[in-house]
Amino acid sequence: MNGWHGRILRVDLTNQTTSAEDIDPKIARDYLGGRGWAIRYLTDEVDPMVEPLDPENKLIFATGPLTATSAPTGNRYMVVTKSPLTGALAHSNSGGDFPTWMKRTGFDLFIFEGRAEKPVYLWVNEDEVEIRSAEHLWGQDVPSTTDALLAETNPKAKAACIGPAGENLVLMAAIMNDKDRAAARSGVGAVMGSKNLKGVVAYGRKNPVFAEEKKMRELSIKIAKEVGADMLAGSSLREHGTAYVPQVTNTLGILPTRNWQAGTFEGVDTIDGPTLTEKYLIKPKPCYRCPIACGRLTEVPDGPYAGKGEGPEYETISSFGSGCGVDNLAAITKANYWCNELGLDTISTGMTIAVAMEMFEKGYLSEEEIGQPLRFGDPDAMIDMVQKMAYREGFGNELAEGSYRFADKYGHPELAVTTRKQEFPGYDPRGSQGMGLLYATSNKGASHMEGDVAYEEVFGVPVKADPHSTDGKAELVKRFQDAFTLIDASGLCVFLAVRYVFSADRMIWPVRLSQLMEYTTGIAYTPKEVLEAADRVYTLERMFLLKAGSTEDTLPPRMLNEPLPDGPAKGQVNRLDDMLPEFYKERGWDENGWPTEEKLKELGLE
Amino acid sequence: MKIRLKLISTYRELLPKGTQGNKIEIDVPEGTRVSDVMTQFNVPQDDSSVIVVNGLTVPLSTILVEDDEVTAFSAIAGG
Repeated sequence: MNGWHGRILRVDLTNQTTSAEDIDPKIARDYLGGRGWAIRYLTDEVDPMVEPLDPENKLIFATGPLTATSAPTGNRYMVVTKSPLTGALAHSNSGGDFPTWMKRTGFDLFIFEGRAEKPVYLWVNEDEVEIRSAEHLWGQDVPSTTDALLAETNPKAKAACIGPAGENLVLMAAIMNDKDRAAARSGVGAVMGSKNLKGVVAYGRKNPVFAEEKKMRELSIKIAKEVGADMLAGSSLREHGTAYVPQVTNTLGILPTRNWQAGTFEGVDTIDGPTLTEKYLIKPKPCYRCPIACGRLTEVPDGPYAGKGEGPEYETISSFGSGCGVDNLAAITKANYWCNELGLDTISTGMTIAVAMEMFEKGYLSEEEIGQPLRFGDPDAMIDMVQKMAYREGFGNELAEGSYRFADKYGHPELAVTTRKQEFPGYDPRGSQGMGLLYATSNKGASHMEGDVAYEEVFGVPVKADPHSTDGKAELVKRFQDAFTLIDASGLCVFLAVRYVFSADRMIWPVRLSQLMEYTTGIAYTPKEVLEAADRVYTLERMFLLKAGSTEDTLPPRMLNEPLPDGPAKGQVNRLDDMLPEFYKERGWDENGWPTEEKLKELGLE
Repeated sequence: MKIRLKLISTYRELLPKGTQGNKIEIDVPEGTRVSDVMTQFNVPQDDSSVIVVNGLTVPLSTILVEDDEVTAFSAIAGG
């Protein structure tokens, strides 16, 4: 095969065996790669009703046809499994270096099944594949584990691993790669922990072969030049990372503040990008061969929050910052470092602590129950909770279950701002209506990465949409869901893709993306055809979700019944009911949100 | 009348030299439109910018009133 290797590495952890197999060319073509291939295999091999932390669940690492290619940002991989947090589908995305190294082993997918009796790690050096003991690494944090894994295998290799949070089956545990990059969401790290799989190390020189080498190189260079010119002209992403965003969302009144009790934060000026750049930035840190470099290598040089690492990005600032009412950027950065070292998703971790803060302030939780006071704006209590969550110590054991389960246990599930039990990212859907529809219908629970219509409602990319209007949002959400599915299947990064390989209009037509896929794989993909494939993938994911029993597309009561009290969206709630029926029609689903037989047939999923 | 102008992130450099933070207060004549202020501060008025008044999406021809806050930033993929 071109573009793809067409090979899957299957790792049976129970029996400690590995095997290689070829992928069916029709599946390869129809499901594109990455997220698409992974859901096809998950659907074929895993009962949607499986307990996520049982050995019968499978964990899939998936690269796409553009991973490890010359296409700028072609360096992403997906982790796909059944989520212990949502009880539905997990597909978490990460960059860094590891995805390219993984693809260079000569395999597109790693499928982990069963459960090792004792902790192990996987070492893949092209066709030399070993399952090795990781008993000496169990309990170690992410940086120590990563250093040890590379020292024991090949210092030129790259590693993904879990920290203590994944080992302790914390429901928002991440899989970290290259120390500071995260396949963060939906508790994929807990699934890895449940399999006693501490880490995965990859090395190889098997670069994918392009069907049309010259055309691929020319288009890649053209895109890279365009990005480069924009970066030279001045780019917020390069200069401040996504940390520039709090000012934007605060202006629009959709910056989650004190567990979504408000949409503007009085401390925004002290937690924004320019502050980060001025006080703590060492330098931008790109993923492998990325021309954007939104990553932040930072250091808090002194004081109680001293440390060095990567981050924070916007989502981390909106969860640990405004979400917890904390206006101290050094403390937010320190919380981020802890999450990276212990292997936690910063969104769910921060937002879960925010729920506990609200419950404490309202008297629903006592100091005795928590073991300490836990007020909004208290950075030390917040950071303490992060560590306790990773180790399930004291009250951290309650929070480790995620905000919905924990708030429900203490009698106030209405305070958990989640869909499918997954915490919202940093855009309040009362002031960005399309985001509400996206969260409610997302295949993986609340997530911006499922089809980020904030690109139009908030950021004006490729065109601006009024965030307060519900008009046309059903169609917009569908377009973005398909576009993001396609990007996740391809192996590109969404930051580059929407702007540079789709048409710059409301159609977001994947003109260049389909060309890149064609030049790589040799299959004469058209924009229409790759979007149809994305629709197929999205619909198959939806079927997995529904068969897992996750059938309700809704938003938490705060979003539907409690108007925002401040800012430009003051007085508004999310008008989900105005959008949902039209959205189901757009997707070809019936009035209950089930794909119709006709639709399944059209996509070849009957 | 007085209005406020907030230029976020990379657009901060379009504010007068020496400005602290991202916001200034300016005097403008009655009848001033959003586009007039954008022209005055060299803010691009095409799809490369997002421009809002009091956090709301409005046409660039909107006439400003006392105490309005105009915000602009470069359109770019988000967070």
